[in-house]
Amino acid sequence: MKFGSTFSIIPLLIGGFSQSLVAEIDYETQIKPIFEEYCIDCHSGSDREANLRLDYRPSLLLGGDSGIKAAVPGHPEKSYLMELIQHKEPDLEMPPKEDKLSDENIALISQWIKEGVNIPGQMDLKVEKTTDLWSFQAVERPELPAGADHKSAIDAYLLEALDEKGLSFNSPASAEVLMRRVSVILTGLPPTPEQLQSFSAAYAAQPEQAYTELVDRLLASKHFGERWAQHWLDVIRWAETNGSESNLYRKNAWIYRDYVVNAFNEDLSYAQFLKDQVAGDQTGAEAATGFLVSGPHVPAASVGREAIAIRQARADRVDEIVQTVGASVLGMTVSCARCHNHKFDPISIKDYYSLAAFFQGVEFGGRYPKYEEGHPIEELETALRTELDSVRHQLGFGQIPLWEDWKGYNEVHLPVVETKALRFTSVKPNFVVDELEVFGPDEAERNLAHKRESVEIKVEEKDFALLKNPEFVNNGEFGTMSFRGKAKKGASPSFEMHFKEPVAINRLKVSTNREFFFETDYLDRGSSLPNFDVEALGEDGVWVSIANYKKAKARVNGESHLKTLARRRDQLIERIMKEGSQVSFIGRFSKPEPAFIFHRGSPENKREEVAPAGFELLEGDLELTSETSDKERRMKFAEWVIDPKHPLTARVMVNRLWYHIFGQGIVPTTADFGVAGAKPTNQALLDYLASEFVSPSQPEAKAWSVKAMIRSMVLSKAFRQSSAPQAAGLEKDAAAALLWRYPPRRMEAEVIRDSILSASGKLDLALGGESYRIHNVKKTYAQWEVDKNYDEKTWRRMLYQERMRRVDDKIFTAFDFPDCGQVRAKRPVSTTPLQALNLMNSPFAMSQSALIAERALAESGGDYKKSIQRIFEVILGRLPDTDELEACLELDREKGLSLVSRSLINSNEFVFLP
Amino acid sequence: MINQEEKVSLFGSQLMSRRGFLGRAGLTMGGLSLAQLLAKDGDPSAFSGKAPIRPDILSKEPYAPRGTHFETPAKQVLIVYCPGAVSHVDTFDYKPDLFKYHGQKPPGLPAVTFEGPTGNIAQPFWEFKPRGESGKMISELVPHLAEHADDFCFMHSLTTQTSAHPQGENFMNTGFTMEGFPSFGAWVTYALGTDNQELPSFVAINDPRGTARSGKNNFGNGFLPAAFQGTDFNAKNPPANLVRPGHLTAGDDKSTVELLARFNAKHLQQFPDDADLAARIASYELAGKMQTSVPDIMSIDGEPESIHKEYGTDQGSDLKREYAKNCILARRLLEKGVRVVQLFNGSDPSGGNGITNWDSHSNIKNTHAMQAEIMDQPTAALIHDLKRRGMLEHTLVVWCTEFGRMPFLQANGSGRDHNPEAFTCFLAGAGVKKGFSYGESDNFGFKGAKDIATVYDFNATLLHLMGLDHERLSYYHNGIERRLTNVHGHVIKDVLA
Repeated sequence: MKFGSTFSIIPLLIGGFSQSLVAEIDYETQIKPIFEEYCIDCHSGSDREANLRLDYRPSLLLGGDSGIKAAVPGHPEKSYLMELIQHKEPDLEMPPKEDKLSDENIALISQWIKEGVNIPGQMDLKVEKTTDLWSFQAVERPELPAGADHKSAIDAYLLEALDEKGLSFNSPASAEVLMRRVSVILTGLPPTPEQLQSFSAAYAAQPEQAYTELVDRLLASKHFGERWAQHWLDVIRWAETNGSESNLYRKNAWIYRDYVVNAFNEDLSYAQFLKDQVAGDQTGAEAATGFLVSGPHVPAASVGREAIAIRQARADRVDEIVQTVGASVLGMTVSCARCHNHKFDPISIKDYYSLAAFFQGVEFGGRYPKYEEGHPIEELETALRTELDSVRHQLGFGQIPLWEDWKGYNEVHLPVVETKALRFTSVKPNFVVDELEVFGPDEAERNLAHKRESVEIKVEEKDFALLKNPEFVNNGEFGTMSFRGKAKKGASPSFEMHFKEPVAINRLKVSTNREFFFETDYLDRGSSLPNFDVEALGEDGVWVSIANYKKAKARVNGESHLKTLARRRDQLIERIMKEGSQVSFIGRFSKPEPAFIFHRGSPENKREEVAPAGFELLEGDLELTSETSDKERRMKFAEWVIDPKHPLTARVMVNRLWYHIFGQGIVPTTADFGVAGAKPTNQALLDYLASEFVSPSQPEAKAWSVKAMIRSMVLSKAFRQSSAPQAAGLEKDAAAALLWRYPPRRMEAEVIRDSILSASGKLDLALGGESYRIHNVKKTYAQWEVDKNYDEKTWRRMLYQERMRRVDDKIFTAFDFPDCGQVRAKRPVSTTPLQALNLMNSPFAMSQSALIAERALAESGGDYKKSIQRIFEVILGRLPDTDELEACLELDREKGLSLVSRSLINSNEFVFLP
Repeated sequence: MINQEEKVSLFGSQLMSRRGFLGRAGLTMGGLSLAQLLAKDGDPSAFSGKAPIRPDILSKEPYAPRGTHFETPAKQVLIVYCPGAVSHVDTFDYKPDLFKYHGQKPPGLPAVTFEGPTGNIAQPFWEFKPRGESGKMISELVPHLAEHADDFCFMHSLTTQTSAHPQGENFMNTGFTMEGFPSFGAWVTYALGTDNQELPSFVAINDPRGTARSGKNNFGNGFLPAAFQGTDFNAKNPPANLVRPGHLTAGDDKSTVELLARFNAKHLQQFPDDADLAARIASYELAGKMQTSVPDIMSIDGEPESIHKEYGTDQGSDLKREYAKNCILARRLLEKGVRVVQLFNGSDPSGGNGITNWDSHSNIKNTHAMQAEIMDQPTAALIHDLKRRGMLEHTLVVWCTEFGRMPFLQANGSGRDHNPEAFTCFLAGAGVKKGFSYGESDNFGFKGAKDIATVYDFNATLLHLMGLDHERLSYYHNGIERRLTNVHGHVIKDVLA
């Protein structure tokens, strides 16, 4: 695949075949008059409705905004025009109601289409699809401004633009401002007072060297990855809960967050980073596919049982994936083409469904990450399982039934038996089963009980006081959709499972809600696992007991050596579950179903089948089909976007980096490089950066290096200038979009929280791992409540606070922390009284103010005045001036220090990055 | 070859020239805040249809009152939201055929609805009687509300897009079934600001039992700036962190604030006229005022006994008493000029069937009765109180729920399943017809039949009543000029007074 150097037009040759037919309908005398009377007023010329022209054959063949072909030569039944004129399309009856064409005219048009849509003089016209959208044109490395080299290029491009406005850069920022700025931008953490002092001294002596060293130190810091992971997680609205009704926690989803932190820390090439995230199961980066399922989803129980709703929910989940990919990688609002061609951008409805088809095999849910042979987790698990097998045999495996409790399900090992039917009788009056699987010795993983094996579940209704959904026992789905039975007094609830043919069986797996067990945590769980007796139907039609739960228990408990073995077995199971591969919410993969265009976005309105493909105008035809495997689809998608000539991938990423560094993108709409987005304020600069990113001009430099790109940006003069206001700049470029100053801004929620914890000296800088919790353990359908958001276990970087969709953390949500519902390429910055109340009165702010005071006092040997100075240093990185010091000294000494701390963490100087 | 003009582009119709980013506004940093800049991302001129109206938000005064798009009597809005889906056929939508066909299979019965297999038609569990001068048939489940039938404008032909609660709540309250969109209250506050700068502009009064199923979505800011989220408190629980921590005195607070003012004043010298810095300073003043004004407004004990009696804080279940207090709080907030008050009658702490909200899949007779006991009297008293004080003249009242319930029971059951294709809500007050019923569901209340209205239409109408054009009130987010009504919705003119 190649992207042309100038973006090529893709010609399609259509038509031609009609010429050989004998046309019976004459366009000029039979069709044109109908169109002219009823249609042409709206459907011709440049302001045509729905972008459809009826007097122009290519337009008819291509279709209008709906993206559906209006006329398919030879096939009126496939022609959208026919549906419209027959008033088969609700709300889109054409011509409108009272003007409906006569049956005779409709028949004429149908025949005309059948004969080939003949319009004399237009039969050789080609349909050209083309776009002049700037971001769809290839990146061409621009000339460097006169006198500039790769080191000064950024500044040179900026100065060219500033010069046009009669502006220039501000004076350089002070050492203190510069260090705070670059530290926060690169790592999200402020410098310590000691680091500030030593940097100021070094900077005074040799500014260039001191600053470069500082930048390199910060880039090498393990906290760099944490900072940049936060930005990436925002864009893809990654969170550790599902959203929707029960908003369940996603078990082990955090391993994806750690993948992202490490990727930035190790300066994984951006191309590899993208490849991992869509195809990590093939690149040895299993956790990375958490990317695909970063958006919210509605679990089955909240979708309900109606087939239409179930199909819609699946389409919505796929759309969440498309949104993630579109916003983060492509910088396009792809989802706008879900119901019709994109209103502004060169993305057709076919492009949307072709792109979605890449991810047709992806499902929201957890899977066991696979570890390569030799990986410590894999080695340990193999060893544990080998021992487990040996213990099983000592317990009588294959000779007597063995019950194993795997927490999420029970596994029952049976002596091999061949039977046509099984009967399960619960040992308790309540019988809840979401799935019961039956396996045999021949194919260890084939579930012989699955409904697709034509297995029948039979129940005796008379035995039940409550009986719901026995068909869920073997529908192949885990979760809340379960069989529920409650026995009548004196009866034992049971059901029978009849196989089509006699089968040999030796193992069962049964659960009440395996979905919850595998995919979520922190739930107040209800029912325990089902235990039952099992009987098999003999050839003589008599039921024979093959496993008796109570007897099996009694046997083990009755002999001390068996009891010891059973305990050992339980320990091994527990260790496998804790130390082996852990099921993690990083997506599930399966064989993709064929994908179709959903007309008007509705899964109930399937049209053309589509193969996985990138945007047609960006050479997206990768020669894939509906048969292409899920793995290959995702890998091909990755290869398409990371092609060095792809005009969006590099531009979107360098612009995003720029935005986080300078507060505004060169393209201000960082996730919309389309027509409705903003154009680049300096396209030469953007394209220069994109070129450098993909193919660096310096021979030793690494391609797609995020760190190198960031380094070049923060080493620029533009970054190092002061943020002080200037009249001329304010007048001509108020927002400093052209960077006549470094634009000051309020810091984000994370930086404020982390900075407060740094000031108190309590910030635990440990990297990665499970998130810290501020929430309760809840019931399935309850809302999460904030439990404790300030105690010692929360003293980690806020990146590690559980990211909960739409849950207010009662402090930092007010600071525009995203609710993770929608893609958030940029956070809004608002100022509200709730922020003030939270930072003044929250237990977090209060306890931290006290801890800062405590620290200052301890570090000042108990000297009150020095303590005040120290508080200024640890919070603001500077000493108080005389006025400030005096004001502080006037306070009542008992609480004075914590009040000073409280004031300072609320001050503008603290929360604004100059 | 064909010429450029004739070139058929899939995408051509909307391509148009754009003016430069920021080129259109000649504001200086003094007036133009960062928040504004962000809000102005993207170019409204690139969008089709009517030109968007994005309110000019001064970051120093994000809540400053802003003009409507056109004249309207409504200045404030009260939303009474009943999560869980109230059965229209048991309350306001009288269907004689349900008595006639009671116990039979309805024609065109779907085999499966949200929770599973369907049962037989069930007549309403409560008696219907004609009410007021209009003679509107309303059931005995809601006798207090029924007394005010002549003040209400019912909408019987509402339909929604989902039969699941969380998506339904999202749709009703944010205009989208998906997560993450701004709530109606956030949109109104974003558009109009508020008259009282000492109280939050948008208050979400949650049910005593907790928040509804979509939680904060129902009153959240979505992707709008956090300034426009609903502030969450009720008669029992103040907003988080409002109250001065116990170990501090008023003097301590004063010292903190004075110190802070001094630090901020000094810092401001480096950035004179910076709107964002000024905004933060102003926000602390407002927070200080709220610390007095919010407890004042929450203290309903001073209300006369007659009011307590009328609202029902003195009798009935504990939940009803608590809810009645919330209703009094709602009136007090509206009296003080709060722009949007959203009052919840139902929650979701346990998913309990009919226990925590109106969801009634089994034993609807008991569960709906239990919810109605809580909702009916206090809500009726609240609306009546607003009327008595003349506040209905400028207050729009919206009583709503996410969908209806089925005219038939669930198989072998005693409850009604979700019905997305017909449900009833009602409006009252400023700008709304009185004693009027709009639209009809079919003979069974199964599907909308006459003048079918979508949730988009409903929300478009609410915005219209607030003086806002739903096609123009927008916010640029991530490539799209977002609206409450997406790209849909028609104002239902028939309900306008």
